[in-house]
Amino acid sequence: MSNSTLLVLRGVSKTFGTTTALSPMDLEIERGSFVSIVGPSGCGKSTLFNVLSGLLRPDGGTITLEGKDVIGATGHVGYMLQKDLLVPWRTVLGNITLGARLKGKVTPENREQATGFAEKYGLGEFLNHYPSALSGGMRQRVALMRTLATNHQLLLLDEPFGALDAQTRFEMQQWLLQVWRDTERTVLFITHDVDEAVFLSDRVLVMSPRPGRVVDDLRVDLPRPRTLDTLVSPAFTELKARVLHQLHRERAV
Amino acid sequence: MKRNFLSISVAGAVMALSSLTVLSAGSVASASTLTSVKFVYDFPGPDMELIPVVVAAREGFFKKNGLKVSVEFPPSTSSTTQLLTTGSGDIGFITTSDMAVAVEAKAPILSVANYSMTNNWGLFAKPGSMLTLASLKGKKIFSWGDTWTNAMIPFVLKKAHLKASDVTIVTGANDTPLLMNGTIDFTTSTTNYSIPGITEATKSAPVGIVGSAAGVPNVPVWVYAVTHSYANQHGKNVKRFLAAIKAATIWASAHRAKAVADFIAAYPKSGYSKFYSTKGWDLTVPLLTNKAGKYFVQTNAQWTTLATALKGINLIKSIPAPSTYYTNKFIP
Amino acid sequence: MTKKKLLVNIFGPILSVVVLISIWQSIVTWGHVASYIAPKPFDAVRSVTSNWSTLAPLTWWTIKETVYGYLAGALLGAFLGVILSKIPLMQRVLYPLLILTQAIPIIALAPPLVMILGFGVMPKVVIVAWIVFFPVTVSVLDGLNHVDKDLLTLAKVFGANPLRRFVVLEMPAAVTQLFSGLKIGATYAVTGAIIGELAASSGSSLALYQRSASGSLDAAGVYGTTLIMTAIGIVWFLLVVGVEFLATPWQRRSTARRWRRGAKPVLPNN
Repeated sequence: MSNSTLLVLRGVSKTFGTTTALSPMDLEIERGSFVSIVGPSGCGKSTLFNVLSGLLRPDGGTITLEGKDVIGATGHVGYMLQKDLLVPWRTVLGNITLGARLKGKVTPENREQATGFAEKYGLGEFLNHYPSALSGGMRQRVALMRTLATNHQLLLLDEPFGALDAQTRFEMQQWLLQVWRDTERTVLFITHDVDEAVFLSDRVLVMSPRPGRVVDDLRVDLPRPRTLDTLVSPAFTELKARVLHQLHRERAV
Repeated sequence: MKRNFLSISVAGAVMALSSLTVLSAGSVASASTLTSVKFVYDFPGPDMELIPVVVAAREGFFKKNGLKVSVEFPPSTSSTTQLLTTGSGDIGFITTSDMAVAVEAKAPILSVANYSMTNNWGLFAKPGSMLTLASLKGKKIFSWGDTWTNAMIPFVLKKAHLKASDVTIVTGANDTPLLMNGTIDFTTSTTNYSIPGITEATKSAPVGIVGSAAGVPNVPVWVYAVTHSYANQHGKNVKRFLAAIKAATIWASAHRAKAVADFIAAYPKSGYSKFYSTKGWDLTVPLLTNKAGKYFVQTNAQWTTLATALKGINLIKSIPAPSTYYTNKFIP
Repeated sequence: MTKKKLLVNIFGPILSVVVLISIWQSIVTWGHVASYIAPKPFDAVRSVTSNWSTLAPLTWWTIKETVYGYLAGALLGAFLGVILSKIPLMQRVLYPLLILTQAIPIIALAPPLVMILGFGVMPKVVIVAWIVFFPVTVSVLDGLNHVDKDLLTLAKVFGANPLRRFVVLEMPAAVTQLFSGLKIGATYAVTGAIIGELAASSGSSLALYQRSASGSLDAAGVYGTTLIMTAIGIVWFLLVVGVEFLATPWQRRSTARRWRRGAKPVLPNN
């Protein structure tokens, strides 16, 4: 295990009754990497996130985050869903600092950090606004800032842009990459969108159901920063084709 | 005065319905030729003062006078006058203080006969208690919340040289239990109600300050009343009604046990025991005739005394001529 | 609110009340209604103002009974709502009993309460609380049961323990619903106080004053006291609405008020 390895899974499995949601899985995630997970429903990606976040205990195996065993323990990862889940009675500032509030008090440092995020990413004017005044894209940005503000190295993002229109989604993808670069966090990203997976990541994991397992693990060596041109380059298309074939082959079976 | 206020008011509707069986007992043959009259009592439930009306119905005195009388009970102690003015009742049973305030408010009510002749109202306490005017200060006195009690209490305070703030008036629905458990020190009532009630509860007669000893004017307590328009249009009914009541009262005074039995048969759920109704009626009979032995007859003096006294405690503002209050022309 | 909205929302109701009073006045005057049956509206008001020295302390007592009873009922209702939400067994056992308490007619409830609690302020306070607590319980229960489950899961992932989740997420989420119950309770609270006063009073009370006026055929007095009782109810209701406005700004505004802000806003054109 090198210093740059953040997360290690060994033999992690989860069964619900007779269904094997996750067959025993080994996985290593490098610190600072951007890893996407694609797969059809039932392939175990949500179960994987639930296990990683501590909401579920796996049936077997070990999970080590920064050297510590985190099985069944919450409060170690950042987490974000498709629903922004912004709290309507708290302002943008209040929402970004929600993580701190949920663990105790919101300190001036928390507020400063939140203000910093907002100002840096164009929402400085809206710090005292209520979420109802914001557009869908802005709300997701606030949700991401809230996730960042929990100051965890590992971020689990579960289809965060699924509810946005194509235009906004592309802007958000660019913005996410910028934030990832600035904050140097490690991102695990679930998506149905193969383009999105390849475009954003250093690495794409393809999962398949019955039983849930990783069937392919691609390195995406495309140069950064990724632009519109990347999207139409031959290298991109090749990678995309490979992922698609993996997905559809599994379905044919 | 009366008790079981709210419990009876709930059963009041049942009473009104059961009262219809009273008149059916006496009106089999000539139902079609009898004139209907609605009689409204002054209290939400029946008690022994209603015996003249009950006996008149059950012993055929109404029928003999060509009347078919239904007995109604008002929803509260202050509603009878309103029931008369709105036409929901023809002949009402009210207190003389109700009469005085009605005339003051320019309601067209006329008193056609006295029920009782003297003021037997006063304060009462458990047997063995000390009850003097001097002992009233700081005490808790019961009130039924009706006009008569509200009118009488200031007279008592005046005679005792007390201010309203020197006593606590507790208003409720039923006085005897409160008197027994000490929640109130004294109750207010008339002798024919208070003595049976407290005697029944304690097996001994209450102590009381009554009438002029209590500082109240010596005027009749209850009267029969109608609206002016009813008197003008249906005077014949009023005459016949009073004739029937007089005959019934004479009969009920001579046949006391039977009279009480009639009452109990008409209102088995009245809430009053045979002992109470018997003793109560016994105490009521002497009140119904004046010094000359006559029923019903009213005087100018009684109304002037009442009006003057009520003006003195600011219950009414002006003293009209006594003829504004009453007429004796329907008395048999 | 825009100026126009303000005009409509405030002057609209005032105008309709003025129209109603005019209709009332017309009916009484031109219908030749006897003064002992119904007074002219201004006579009713005059009855209040000219007897204010007597009515003021009585009004004050009724207000106290209403307010104390309301606060007790609201607190009890909120407490029960939380208990029922958090302990399903309690909900199954208690909820039917609570419904039973509301099935008892308040008028029938008053005499037994007076027997137990006496003739003072307590039975009235209990009656008001009895009326108020149930809508509050139902609304709090409803609010708590409808908190977004995903939000609570998110909070769990953030490492929040159940108490933290309750205080930071569930309680505030229930607040909106809470005010529905509080407003319903506010409209009925005065009725409870009056029913209690009618059943038993030590000394005088607004209800007894009205009954006395009724017995004296003082229609102006009767209507006047009704006006006072109505006014108490309206004012209290408006106070509750006012608190709602202050407590739930996010339902109407896009930005937080100055005293709620945690940060200085960054203005454009910096």
